[in-house]
Amino acid sequence: MITGIYQVILFGAILAVLSILTSILSRRVGAPSLLLFLLLGMLAGEEGPGGIQFHDFDTAFLIGNLALAVILLDGGLRTHVSSFRVGLAPALTLATVGVAITAGIVGAVAADVLGWSWLEGFLIGAIVGSTDAAAVFGLLHSAGLELKERSGATLEIESGTNDPMAIFLTITLVGLLGTEAETSGWAMVGEFVRQMGLGLAIGGVGGWGLGWQVNRLSLPLSLYPLLVIATGIAFFSLANLLGGSGFLAVYVMGLVLANRPLNYVHDIRRFHDGMAWISQIGMFLILGLLVTPSDLLDVVVPGLIIAGVLVFVARPAAVLLCLAPFRFPWREQAFVSWVGLKGAVPIILALFPYLSGLENSDVYFEITFFVVLMSLILQGWTIAPLARWLKLEVPPHIDEFQQLSLGVPGRAGCELVAYKVHAGSPADAYMVDRLPLPKDTRLIGVVRKGEFIESNASVDLKPEDHLILLTQTHDLTDLSPLFQKLPTASYLRASEFFGQFSLRGDTLLADVASFYNVPLSDDEKRQSLAEFVGRRFHGKAVVGDRVRVGNVEFVVRQIVHGAIFQVGLKIRSAAEPG
Amino acid sequence: MDLSNLLSPSRTRSRMQGGSKKRVLEQAAKLIAADYPAVNPDELFRQLISRERLGSTGIGHGIAIPHCRVENCATAVGALLTLEEAVDFEAVDDAPVDVIFTLLVPNEAQEEHLQILASLAQIFGRSENLQKLREAQDDRELYDHAVELFTNLS
Repeated sequence: MITGIYQVILFGAILAVLSILTSILSRRVGAPSLLLFLLLGMLAGEEGPGGIQFHDFDTAFLIGNLALAVILLDGGLRTHVSSFRVGLAPALTLATVGVAITAGIVGAVAADVLGWSWLEGFLIGAIVGSTDAAAVFGLLHSAGLELKERSGATLEIESGTNDPMAIFLTITLVGLLGTEAETSGWAMVGEFVRQMGLGLAIGGVGGWGLGWQVNRLSLPLSLYPLLVIATGIAFFSLANLLGGSGFLAVYVMGLVLANRPLNYVHDIRRFHDGMAWISQIGMFLILGLLVTPSDLLDVVVPGLIIAGVLVFVARPAAVLLCLAPFRFPWREQAFVSWVGLKGAVPIILALFPYLSGLENSDVYFEITFFVVLMSLILQGWTIAPLARWLKLEVPPHIDEFQQLSLGVPGRAGCELVAYKVHAGSPADAYMVDRLPLPKDTRLIGVVRKGEFIESNASVDLKPEDHLILLTQTHDLTDLSPLFQKLPTASYLRASEFFGQFSLRGDTLLADVASFYNVPLSDDEKRQSLAEFVGRRFHGKAVVGDRVRVGNVEFVVRQIVHGAIFQVGLKIRSAAEPG
Repeated sequence: MDLSNLLSPSRTRSRMQGGSKKRVLEQAAKLIAADYPAVNPDELFRQLISRERLGSTGIGHGIAIPHCRVENCATAVGALLTLEEAVDFEAVDDAPVDVIFTLLVPNEAQEEHLQILASLAQIFGRSENLQKLREAQDDRELYDHAVELFTNLS
């Protein structure tokens, strides 16, 4: 008995270690790490070399729910309210109407292909209807790619908010199929409103209260993230027990928490980032273990058809319809259509029919498994190249620096940070004592080759130096660009991407025209640059949006509080084709 | 277009005392007006300053390319200055500027104007090129280095 327990622990730990090591492989070959975790689970399972027999759907469901709550909490913590300006409305439309359209189209096809009832087909559609953009962002991040905000924010918010919709549809349909009782459409609408309303309210109150608590309580540093995760999971279950959407509640909780002033916010984020990883790993390993690979052979044909319809018809149709009112540029529509990556949620949802003892429950599971597998291979592998091809990449922000939040009484938001000086970054050219630091920032020291150097002297900074600074959280946005590493791809260098010169957004086009040869109408000349560019993008321009006039291009360079603040002026060379 | 025609040794000054952005632009305007009497230095200075109001012409890494159009000028004209001590130019990267290429173009030659600017930005965008200009000890050496850069491009 005791030996048995240690064996289980050993197997689990070895699998976790292998999964973590696999993520290196994922970076190398560009394969989505989730796909690798899934394969690893299958290899460890009954028909692979591991030979582990695992058929415990209840345990899988329990772990799946916990993992999902953690992933959504992390998603909320990472969503910045500033991204709501361009992303909120389109994302919410995609998360509600979009999921319903996707589920409807896939459902109709699935019912036909499998010879099932329409309701059963629709259940398949609902299970695979939601998008796992956490997987998307993992992929983009490991490819070192930063997306334009319009697509980025939309996908990010959609991923956090569409799971509750898919879960709601699945549970409702499972209920309908299980009881065979007639339910009116209005009752369903009422149920939807109740679930989402309760989820929103409980999450909002929970997030606000938890933030208040974190800022007031005096605890050992490592206990704050634990307090957050434990409270998050408690509110997740509470919302579910009260008949609300726990998944929405826990996401909203993270969102509210991270977007109000919060002590130790970086420690909390970093901890949850790790927890989200281990949740993904655990969930995909267990799914890989749970499936019997040879059973998948039976569903290859319907699985391929359903996956194909989902990827090539249902998602693009849903995106086209949902984004129509927001008039996204076609490139971004195409990208959002393709990035309908399926991940953790469908897997958990596929367990619902089983737990409710529905007919054909293993077919739901196998089809879902197959669809997720196809989606990871097909879409997961191509996302980064596609984003580059569609020119949705913008010069990246620096996010690689070390940071330590200090709890100094009477001085909230104190941070000790260490930056590395990259070759060609703005800091590279400075003498130490001339560095333009924000007002409340103090230089603690410069480390060169492991030794502190005299930091008050007129020494030129060199690549590979490390600067240690004492600063305030809100100054980091001013500080970080100084240490910005130049992107490796030449087309992403600022001068190449944004153009040679930079103009103020409030510049009148008449003034621009007096210095440069740009064909503009008299009406256009009365507009400011910000108005002119903003109108082309329906008032929702994002960094990297460009408008071409004659031989120059105006490129949005900086947005402050929703307004275009700086516009790059890019002169196109006469030799360059149109 | 051969960019080396833009410069002349008389409009090249190395390691000047800069002082401030305004002072630098004023000196550049004077240098050009000395060679082209038809150009009024005060008017040129005013034009350069109003161009700066739209956004700094400091393109980063310590280089600025102030430019404007003027009347009474038959061809495009440039002046190159390097400074003993860099001055604040409100540049895009906030780095102080110590290499300044001032360009003025006739009112008519608009498309050419754009292409010259693009080429200048390209040449001065390379840090190895800037390094050479900064190392020049006197006006003549600076002029020779600049002409070399321009001819290598075309």
